[in-house]
Amino acid sequence: MEKIKFAFLGVAHIHSNNYARAIKELPEAELKAVYEENEKIGREFSEKFKIVYYNDCEKLLRTEDIDAVVITSETAKHYDLAMKAIEASKHILCEKPIAMTLKEADEMIKSAEKAGLKFQTCFVMRYHTTSWLIKNLIDDGRIGKVLAIIGTNKLNVSLPLSMDWFLNPELSGGGAIMDHTVHLADLIRWYTNSEALEVYTETGRNVVKNIGVEDNFLTTLTMENGVIGHIDGSWSYASGFYTWGDVTLEVLGSEGVILLDAFRQNVYYVGMEAPNDKLIWHYYGCDADKEMIKSFINCIVRDETPRATGFDGRQGLAITLASYESLRLGKPVRPG
Amino acid sequence: MRLEVRLLGDKLGVAVLGYGFMGTTHLSAWKLIDQCEVKAVMGRTFPKVKAVAEKFGVTAYNRVEDILKRNDIDIVDICTPTYTHAEYAIRSMDAGKHVFVEKPIALSLKEADAMIDASKRNGVKFMVGHVLRFFPEYMKIKELIDQGLIGDPVIARTFRGGPIPEWSPWFLDKEKSGGVAIDLAIHDVDFLLWCFGEGVERVYAKVRKLVHTDISAEDFAIITMKFRGGGIAFVEANWALPKKFPFTMKFELDGTKGMILSDNQSTVPIKLITNEGVESFSPETLPWKPTMYPFPIDPYYRELKHFVDCILKDEKPMTDGEVSRKSLEVCLAALRSSELNSPVSLPLKEV
Repeated sequence: MEKIKFAFLGVAHIHSNNYARAIKELPEAELKAVYEENEKIGREFSEKFKIVYYNDCEKLLRTEDIDAVVITSETAKHYDLAMKAIEASKHILCEKPIAMTLKEADEMIKSAEKAGLKFQTCFVMRYHTTSWLIKNLIDDGRIGKVLAIIGTNKLNVSLPLSMDWFLNPELSGGGAIMDHTVHLADLIRWYTNSEALEVYTETGRNVVKNIGVEDNFLTTLTMENGVIGHIDGSWSYASGFYTWGDVTLEVLGSEGVILLDAFRQNVYYVGMEAPNDKLIWHYYGCDADKEMIKSFINCIVRDETPRATGFDGRQGLAITLASYESLRLGKPVRPG
Repeated sequence: MRLEVRLLGDKLGVAVLGYGFMGTTHLSAWKLIDQCEVKAVMGRTFPKVKAVAEKFGVTAYNRVEDILKRNDIDIVDICTPTYTHAEYAIRSMDAGKHVFVEKPIALSLKEADAMIDASKRNGVKFMVGHVLRFFPEYMKIKELIDQGLIGDPVIARTFRGGPIPEWSPWFLDKEKSGGVAIDLAIHDVDFLLWCFGEGVERVYAKVRKLVHTDISAEDFAIITMKFRGGGIAFVEANWALPKKFPFTMKFELDGTKGMILSDNQSTVPIKLITNEGVESFSPETLPWKPTMYPFPIDPYYRELKHFVDCILKDEKPMTDGEVSRKSLEVCLAALRSSELNSPVSLPLKEV
């Protein structure tokens, strides 16, 4: 089988490292090049993964023989980069949130579709074996009818603080709400086969003051089929927490309940001397990043629809934007 | 103030109204408080209350007025269903008795206000049994917060849930218990009010009959609270869980300097495994098996002892009428928010 050849367009998002590592480890994939506006970050990335660096996106797309691009730039640049890639006829794997506005997202999706290109959103949780298993348990009727889904996707506060652009709303679109609504919103949509009817959000004073964006929130969803959802995606875990964050779910059904702690598969380690003198989790669960890239490659090779499409990305963004609107208006809001 | 003439060493006489799970739990606890003598228990079904009375060596009654007539009863401890709290409490206080009443204080703010008024006009002590404040892990949480270890509290989340309490049918009656948003959520609401130390600005909630659609009480409530100082909290109270679901209480509070986590299922020290299944025992915390408690470390003992100390030292109980009215107000706002599908601002205007 011929390898699927990848380039990165923008690597400002910390996830670009995980995705590049996964591509490098997959025999069916080949990583060729990286474009990044910020030369320092771009060069570091190209050296780390031994690929060619471009400071000109069009030049990369003209020069390199690639099949697909991974867009992991600042969110504000997703739209431009995606449109260029589509024009150059490349399949797209796009970091979440898909774009800054629904208008942008709709245009990206429509253009990719028109050009016959795959557009997959990086909803990595759809490729995590635990959430996939839960999807099967639900679809097998093991908990009866799904009635409510309550989840957390909280983050160790040190992670968002490590990326400057995360704290600049012009580049990121917002704080914790923009960053960490979509994974759970997407799982709730996936598990209920239903869209959000209403979104209500509260946010508190910040855990870390003066960072320019909100770092905590609580979002209540009412789905069109009546299921109640709740999302806490706050960046509020203390920096000394033993792991990066979590994905937990309570899926309450008429015949039972499923409890998920997706990254629970860990061994504890603690050493005697700094920096090892605090408890740290070492994860041994599935490699969802790799599963996501593998699945994307399969979609290209077999001409299948991605498990997490551009439309899924768009619907996640719609819920996120409705959250901000709900904060502004102080009442539940219907997503656009 | 009521003048008390008693001999040095005289014990405070106690009567317990109600003989169900909470009544018998309290009877056991009263037995261990040196400054008190539990003398009476009241219940509506006389043969049943007589059996309980015999077990605890007290007198059985089925009319509250007969208890209130006794001059040697100083404390009335009300463990009857919530809808009866106000009437029993006011009558007892008007008879000059100190009153301890199970949580929630009552089902409406009007009733709560009347109870607070009665305690003031009679100069008696009045306390509501927000027992969570006396659970050792929650006492530890409060201690760590008070030490400033988390800085300013920012965002909290709590979970409280288990199977529907069908062993006590009145819980399933909305008119009698108020449903899960009033009866169960109020534990965490009260504790969060204590931790944040500030009032609630508004509440948004979903209160539903999810699994048990054939009863009048709701079995599922999620509540988002926004505090006046800018903190937020998420409370889930859940009676919609399967019969084998272990009673679970979780607490998380993230602040500007650190975070606190607590989960009663992950701190179970004793597991009994038989061919029937697994049974967990947390002697200091789980309120499931009162008879197995190695007293006197029980939270119920601790709350009643606090009340007795307040009477003897003439101090304000930690969860007096005013304090306990606040958590009821939040829970009532949650119900209203769910009905209106809209955030509800506090203070709550009575409908």
